[in-house]
Amino acid sequence: MALLDIRDLDLRIARGRELLPVVQGVSLAVEENETLGIVGESGCGKSLTALAIMGLLEGSVVRIAGGSVHFRGRDLLALSPDERRRVMGDQMAMIFQEPMTSLNPVYRVGDQIREAILQHRRMSRKQARDRALDLLELVRIPDPLRRIDSFPHQMSGGQRQRVMIAMALACDPKLLIADEPTTALDVTVQKEVLELMRSLQARNGMSIVLISHDLGVVSEICDKVAVMYRGKIVEQASTSTLFSNMSHPYTLGLLGSIPSTDHDVEWLDAIPGRVPTLDEAVPGCAFHPRCFAANESCRSADPSASAVSPAHIVRCHFPQGSSS
Amino acid sequence: MSVPLSIALVFRGRALATIGACWLLVVGIAAIGAPLLAPFDPLEIDPFVRLSEPGWPHLFGTDHFGRDSLSRAIYGARMAILIGSGSVLIALVAGGLVGMLSAYFVRLGHLLMRIVDVLMAFPALLLALVLMTLLERSVLNTVIVIGIVYATTTARIVFGMTLKLKRDVFVDAAICSGAGHVSVLFRHILPNLMSPMLVQASFIFAFAQLQAAALDFLGLGLPPEVPSWGNMLSEERIYVTRAPWLLIFPGSLIILSVFSMNLVGDALRDNIDPRFKDDIAGV
Repeated sequence: MALLDIRDLDLRIARGRELLPVVQGVSLAVEENETLGIVGESGCGKSLTALAIMGLLEGSVVRIAGGSVHFRGRDLLALSPDERRRVMGDQMAMIFQEPMTSLNPVYRVGDQIREAILQHRRMSRKQARDRALDLLELVRIPDPLRRIDSFPHQMSGGQRQRVMIAMALACDPKLLIADEPTTALDVTVQKEVLELMRSLQARNGMSIVLISHDLGVVSEICDKVAVMYRGKIVEQASTSTLFSNMSHPYTLGLLGSIPSTDHDVEWLDAIPGRVPTLDEAVPGCAFHPRCFAANESCRSADPSASAVSPAHIVRCHFPQGSSS
Repeated sequence: MSVPLSIALVFRGRALATIGACWLLVVGIAAIGAPLLAPFDPLEIDPFVRLSEPGWPHLFGTDHFGRDSLSRAIYGARMAILIGSGSVLIALVAGGLVGMLSAYFVRLGHLLMRIVDVLMAFPALLLALVLMTLLERSVLNTVIVIGIVYATTTARIVFGMTLKLKRDVFVDAAICSGAGHVSVLFRHILPNLMSPMLVQASFIFAFAQLQAAALDFLGLGLPPEVPSWGNMLSEERIYVTRAPWLLIFPGSLIILSVFSMNLVGDALRDNIDPRFKDDIAGV
């Protein structure tokens, strides 16, 4: 059984009396020790999916309208708040996009990590501090003995993100959800953080769900990739399959939008048009107004997910690549 | 950073605030040491020295009962500190709780904040008057009433700040690490409210003095026998032409104390953010 198994997740956002769909029929599975990347542009529902997994949508305008999220065989959506609290931070943890605001400004970083440990582990404060120190060393913070007593504002963005990772790893979770963990960082720091995540995964044996808008980042560390567009998964495959045989026009468009460093290009092949807003009803395939391959059937019927090859699922009437 | 050092930083380059703090220190010492410092019993009536001018042995003169004004003023400092700190305590605890819970639990907030809105629709003094007429005149009731009046503004301020804080990513991060409502509210949100609440406390302390003096003056605050600056003003106001010093001394004490507290509050407000301190103090 998969470690994390999401089936037909439906999320809706409440606006007045209306409930607008923001995530529709998302199904994902993450095996142990596997890294899944979720890619898509802003507003495609990738972060909401992560927040739904972690139960952070409670009290927001977003409702879970259907589907299930099974983690180690238990339906997370059916857990009581108390049961869920015991899972969060212990067996699954999350790191966020903004390292500037994801640490509490009034606590020393060591105390924050210690809090995260003591939430789930019974040990003395001294032991927890030693563990925090180990964690800081593990995430390669230079001079951890001094840094453990720093306030977040005294650290750089990359260091804060490392502290965040240390906090997330406090109880050796089986699943780490990383929502754009490197977006706010410099390119060089990005690389370091990604490498750190990869080495920690190998060391701790955990699964990672990496949410990103950057296909490059995803290609570097993910085993599997799911591409989302307007609340739906439009293509899902192993990283090698996806990059060798992209089938959805949107995925191709994303790849075409990456600037090449090999040769000078005057123009980037941007995807034309824009993402339709939530209340714009797009009949048929949601991507058709921007798609180079669209024809009548795309305008009238929404394609269902189908496998172009084993474990390569595409939601398109005219999948590109080898099959066309 | 050590506490004395951080206090020194608050007052660095602020002559007025430093003078204000010193004055408050004097008031504090007077309050604590009142029985030792007061030359006379503040309640002792001496009909032979009614309305005597300032001089020896009655430095501040005597009132129309012949009670020593200086002694009453020194004991009045006790009331000032008591009313101030009592009101601050009630306003911060009640207002802080209402504000935090209202912002965190949205449904509860709809109810609680409407009550706060209704209370805030009254002018502060009017609200205090209404509440005091319902209650007996006593030190405790005065403290409670003034505390409630300022709990409303505190609730509003804390409500707004909590609304913002609870959307901060570190709260999500705390929830992700398994923190429950109590832990999120009191371990993660509350510490972020502390410094603004400290500043709020300094202003409530000052305003409570004025409010208490006003209530005393209108005869609705502390019981008349209690020596307080407001009561001194209230009782001796008819002698303003014959013995103006009986009003000048307590009046000046109120003005000086409120002004000092406001200056200290300003200095605190400008220093609340720990991020600004490091540049000066080093880490």
